[in-house]
Amino acid sequence: MFDRDIWQEIYHSISNNKLRTFLTGFSVGWGIFILVLLLASVNGMQNGFTMQFSDDATNSIFIRTGTTSLAYGGFEAGRRVQLTNDDIEYIKRSFPNDVEYLSPRIYQNTSARYKSETGSYNVQAVYPDHQAIEKTIVNKGRFINTNDLLNASKVAVIGRKVEEDLFKNEDAIGKFVEFKGLPFRVIGTFTDDGDDNAERNIYAPTSTFQKMYGQTNHIDQIALTYNPEYDLTKALEFSDRLESVFRRRFKIAPQDQAGIRIFNYAEVFEDISNFTGGLDVAVIIVGLLILLSGIVGIGNIMVFIIKERTKEIGVRKALGAEPWSIIKLVLFESVFITALSGFIGLAIATGLLAIIGPNIKSGAFANPSVSMSIVVTATIILIVAGVLAGLIPAMKAAKVKPIVALSDK
Amino acid sequence: MHRQCRKLSKTTTNMIQIKNLHKSYKMGKNSLHVLKGINFNVEEGELVAIMGSSGSGKSTLLNILGMLDSLDSGEYILDNVPIKDLNETKAARYRNKFLGFVFQSFNLINYKSAAENVALPLYYQKVPRKDRQEKALKYLEQVGLKEWATHLPSELSGGQKQRVAIARAMAAEPKVLLADEPTGALDSKTSYEVMDLIQKINDQGNTILIVTHEPDIADMCKRIVHLKDGVIIEDKKIEQVRAEQYV
Repeated sequence: MFDRDIWQEIYHSISNNKLRTFLTGFSVGWGIFILVLLLASVNGMQNGFTMQFSDDATNSIFIRTGTTSLAYGGFEAGRRVQLTNDDIEYIKRSFPNDVEYLSPRIYQNTSARYKSETGSYNVQAVYPDHQAIEKTIVNKGRFINTNDLLNASKVAVIGRKVEEDLFKNEDAIGKFVEFKGLPFRVIGTFTDDGDDNAERNIYAPTSTFQKMYGQTNHIDQIALTYNPEYDLTKALEFSDRLESVFRRRFKIAPQDQAGIRIFNYAEVFEDISNFTGGLDVAVIIVGLLILLSGIVGIGNIMVFIIKERTKEIGVRKALGAEPWSIIKLVLFESVFITALSGFIGLAIATGLLAIIGPNIKSGAFANPSVSMSIVVTATIILIVAGVLAGLIPAMKAAKVKPIVALSDK
Repeated sequence: MHRQCRKLSKTTTNMIQIKNLHKSYKMGKNSLHVLKGINFNVEEGELVAIMGSSGSGKSTLLNILGMLDSLDSGEYILDNVPIKDLNETKAARYRNKFLGFVFQSFNLINYKSAAENVALPLYYQKVPRKDRQEKALKYLEQVGLKEWATHLPSELSGGQKQRVAIARAMAAEPKVLLADEPTGALDSKTSYEVMDLIQKINDQGNTILIVTHEPDIADMCKRIVHLKDGVIIEDKKIEQVRAEQYV
């Protein structure tokens, strides 16, 4: 099939029409180049989204309560629903296999002071588990541990920005920072990939805050991560289960959106993957349309070549060339031009991405790149495209009547 | 040569049998009756000139003999094989197996060397590359162009081109060699050289049909078939004029 004669034919045909072959090949190469770049862009967008959210654990669920908007279970509307430490224990007991990490959150906006420096910061009172839920990166010292919680220690883990603002060039570890007149010992500092604002947070043990503010067991929010082995459906099923249990527990009407809200990141990810999936399809369609113009170009050049070589094809047929051998000749040439120019486009596009891709990191766009599967798909598309481009001209060539081709008139 | 051996062992065999051959072309509403009942036989080893003015049907006859065109009615038997119901693939195979073509305008493939041109029918016979090259050189040697094997057609003179074309036609070792005005594009001296070559190939026992309108070329054959308005008006054996004496 791939004997030397065929290659020789292709070589002659191409070298006789260098410019024309180049121009047509260029259109196919260009089509593939754009297709790959477009797909890489979608990929970059996907990476960007994932990075934006990977600041928090992607398997996290947040439970917030509010004021009921509907009368239900003997209660009037307008009842305030309050989460407490008991709810944490309840989740721990009821869903031992579903929950990975679990922590309450108490929000307090507090002014903090160190020496003469003061500032207003968000303090979150949490459990040790919270570090894993928020993916907090402790770069100095340590995070809150179980002992801090049991002893209601007055300790704090402060964000990098807080340290910068309050402690200037001093090392904050071991120093005391004052919240509303009470001294808290700084046990650690943290950074956050997500944004600078997160680095203006301060973490303290829940028990300490509950003691400070009137011996309550109230909490503002529950944050948890579910079993990381769960897929999307299982995750959504779990949060539904969680929600119905809490609605029953607090006697909130099933359709009451104000009383309780359970926010599952899985839903967001479902939306994002739907969105980028849709984008992928759109990009493939656009790319294929661009490629189509290249294919038409190749088909065009092949028709011309055949017209020019009508006589030669006639001679070959008179000498005993079967129609298939003529079709083969045209198809191989078409596939060869398409594949070669497509590969060049593919190589340039992937090369370009390899060089500039890792350097692109802005907002919702990061590291655009192409996967092996895209490259393989593009290759298959190219071969198919070559066959399609050559098919009509090849049939035309096979239909050449030697008697017409050979007439000297 | 093997052909001579066969000629000695078998006495006259019918190579071509044509019976009541009709062919017409549709020209819009009218149809043009080109061949109106041709009957003739060609025996193995004959050298036949088909003569006639333009429009006499001689080229159509050659095209039908060459399976480049179909016949409307009648019979065509080539080497005891009835030629009918040909599809493209079958016609290509028969042409490759039975026939060698020589054209007025040589029809060499211009980007292939002389040897590659000669080897082309062997390629379609699926002869291995090495054997093809050997055979091509052998036939080029027979037409006296072995030293020109690697040259492109553009580097050859008209006579040389036609000799390469004859070598190409002979390379497939066909039953019949069909030549359509083989000297039509050559000056008279070169024409005689080509005819000398054709006569020598015929001397080896090969069956050859030549379409020509030049009487001196026809006289160098052994038999002249005269066509006029689609019928044979004369079919005579003649004393062959040897081309050698003019070369």
